[in-house]
Amino acid sequence: MTPELTALAFAGLLQVVQYALMAVPANLELGSAKTTSPRDRDRLGGDLIDQVSPRTARLYRAMNNHFEGLILFTLAVVVVTLSDQSSGFTAACAWAYLAARVLYVPAYAFGWRPWRSLIWAVGFSATVLMLLAALI
Amino acid sequence: MFTDELSILVLYGLLVALTVLLQTTGAMGQLGMGYLLSSRDESREAAGMTARIERALNNSVVALTLVAPAILILNVRDAFSDTSLMTAQIFLAARVIYLPAYAFGITGLRTLAWLSGFAATVVLYLLAL
Repeated sequence: MTPELTALAFAGLLQVVQYALMAVPANLELGSAKTTSPRDRDRLGGDLIDQVSPRTARLYRAMNNHFEGLILFTLAVVVVTLSDQSSGFTAACAWAYLAARVLYVPAYAFGWRPWRSLIWAVGFSATVLMLLAALI
Repeated sequence: MFTDELSILVLYGLLVALTVLLQTTGAMGQLGMGYLLSSRDESREAAGMTARIERALNNSVVALTLVAPAILILNVRDAFSDTSLMTAQIFLAARVIYLPAYAFGITGLRTLAWLSGFAATVVLYLLAL
């Protein structure tokens, strides 16, 4: 198992944790009658995401953002691994990505400004650098 | 660089990353740096070309999620062929056309590009089976 694959597995688990961090407060705030319904907008008066507390909505946005990041990171890790291009550099990028995405969650939830955006940029750059390393 | 399916997949990943940067740059101008750096508790929507690039980005991420497994299955099964290479090249070309077609609102061309990319993805799955 390459270090990149280990980081990818942790990133997947991080997204599971992010799911729970969002879903538990959302269910407590909205009630299971709403969350287990088919969530028809006309019956619930709009999107459920507009009815949760600001912090839960931030955790929801953080989770959605990580889906986008995770898809690109998965691509980078899998291609680097399959083409046998794993190096110290790509491993460092993978851990930088993971560290950035872990920090991104409290940064969003607690409104660390401008750190959230900088942390996001670290994770994004690490992914792009891995993709470029896979091409060379 | 365009001669094997995995490189084409990586190039498409870089195209998606470029779309993220274009969308963020547009949002900086429209919504303001202060808003982007904030926790975005109030919802602000971009308009015009930035909104189009945002929709193109969402569509590109979905397309990536769909095409990546097909190419990875082909790789793991050692099933790459001239046909799969050409199909992957068509996919990438279609998605390269899709982005400006959406950004500049070229109706018809955008749909045609999307359809070509989608059809290429289906063919890659059929080849992977």
